Amino acid sequence: DQVLHIVPETFQQVQHLQLLCSTLMLDLWKPLLPENIGAGEDLHIRVPAPLVQEVKDSLDQHMISYRVLIPDVQKLVDQSMPRERSSHRQISGGYVYTEYHPMEEIYQWMTQIQKDNSELVTQHFLGKTFENRAMYYLQISQPSNKPKKIIWMDCGIHAREWISPAFCQWFVKEILQNYKSDPKIRRFLQNLDLYVLPVLNIDGYIYSWEEDRLWRKNRSPYENGTCYGTDLNRNFNSSWGSVGVSFNCSSDVFCGSGPESEPETRAVAQFIKSKRSDILCYLTIHSYGQLILTPYGSTTRPPSNSEELMQVAKEAAAALTGKYGTSYRVGSTALILYNNSGSSRDWVHTIGIPLSYTFELRDTGAHGFILPANQIQPTCEETM
Amino acid sequence: DIEDVGHKYYLELELEDVLDKGRTVNCTAEVLYHLGSKSTAPDVQLTVQGELRGTEEADQEFYNRIRSLEKELVAENIPDSHGNVPLELEPIHLLAWAASGYVIWQNSTENTEFHLAQVKHVKQVKRSDEDLQFDYVLLLHEMVSQEVIPWEVTVLWHPQHPARVSWDRRQLGHTLG
Repeated sequence: DQVLHIVPETFQQVQHLQLLCSTLMLDLWKPLLPENIGAGEDLHIRVPAPLVQEVKDSLDQHMISYRVLIPDVQKLVDQSMPRERSSHRQISGGYVYTEYHPMEEIYQWMTQIQKDNSELVTQHFLGKTFENRAMYYLQISQPSNKPKKIIWMDCGIHAREWISPAFCQWFVKEILQNYKSDPKIRRFLQNLDLYVLPVLNIDGYIYSWEEDRLWRKNRSPYENGTCYGTDLNRNFNSSWGSVGVSFNCSSDVFCGSGPESEPETRAVAQFIKSKRSDILCYLTIHSYGQLILTPYGSTTRPPSNSEELMQVAKEAAAALTGKYGTSYRVGSTALILYNNSGSSRDWVHTIGIPLSYTFELRDTGAHGFILPANQIQPTCEETM
Repeated sequence: DIEDVGHKYYLELELEDVLDKGRTVNCTAEVLYHLGSKSTAPDVQLTVQGELRGTEEADQEFYNRIRSLEKELVAENIPDSHGNVPLELEPIHLLAWAASGYVIWQNSTENTEFHLAQVKHVKQVKRSDEDLQFDYVLLLHEMVSQEVIPWEVTVLWHPQHPARVSWDRRQLGHTLG
């Protein structure tokens, strides 16, 4: 819909406009009634979208000049709405999954989720961050006496990629909400346990809320406290320090003082090592780029199971695109993105976990790291 | 590959109007990256096949609104941390986007990929001539290094003239600690 601004010049024009308004039943914003339309006076009319061309043609025909005051009424309405606090389908005990949440709220959410779903969910301590915060993962597991394989997913290794923790939370919610009604999910959980770490780089995430929205690394100090942060995804023990890194703390890809120098890295690595024979698939969620990346980043030499890796990834990408048409590219990091070493995905594969993927979620650069909250739902739905 | 000169790319592009999704225009482009030289921008030739949407009314309105402000416009963090841009700052954001395109072009090589991450700061500077002037600090994200680089950019604009970057400089020092 558009709103047009017209100043009729002659009585004939006034008459024509009055006729147009009443015949097409146009919405007069100013004045209120057609009989109050006068020559030399402001006229504002809202024209429904399907009639816009017809009205403009009629004005042109009668040599009545006009200006488009509002080119898209709906857009204006949407933008002037206060941010919705609740969107019915997303509420799970009041938690709004279509908004970004600070760490405090995510901690509370984890506690609540375990409470509300105690037959399936247990919260476990993984380790401590540099700034001494507790790292927890959620285990979603259907009680059974047979041992199960594990799918591990971590989010938020890079602080500024807010859509990533948002996705982990969404994922947990979806699984739990639909467990009873969706046979696919039940079958899934019959044979597999899901381990989800909603925020890996907690210190960095908090820092991106409080100080610097575009912060990436963790918050451990170097050079006598004059420089902060290691890129946790360059800190794992896979060809550490060889390519795509910096040894300078001030770089955003600073790989730390050595492999697993960071407490967050050690916490995750230790755990994964201890469970390595049971972990079937490792997923690490990032943004942005719309990519599904397979090992390796440090070399273009393909991993031993590259065919299987690619096939599974391609099917995932196709399913994702099927939802809203969002296109994802699939391939090895070194080939389609850039060279890097010390990534969690590569390390996990080198210790024997067959399926290891990095997901780079929406978008491709228009919003980049600052993905508007109104894209949380479609991004999560398609990734699901 | 052009010996002793550089690498030339032939592109077919489809442009989509951000403000009128679904409206697209095809373009062709030739981009030449010069061999070795890091300080010369790539040569670009662009042909637009079709028409771009007219924006005269909206342009004029924005121009009048800014000219009639009593105090110079100042704003920060566009979009905010959650991705929101207040309605009245949308044109400022769009202008920044256009300006970032120029800066990105001037600083691109075959091994960089830049995107505008955020407008850190913008300040209007009143001028004695008809142009509007905005002094921006833009945050550019470079994909390969993963760095976020602050860049000072001065943009001049007038409804009848295309936007121009009259001055730009990579900001010294770091984006916050």
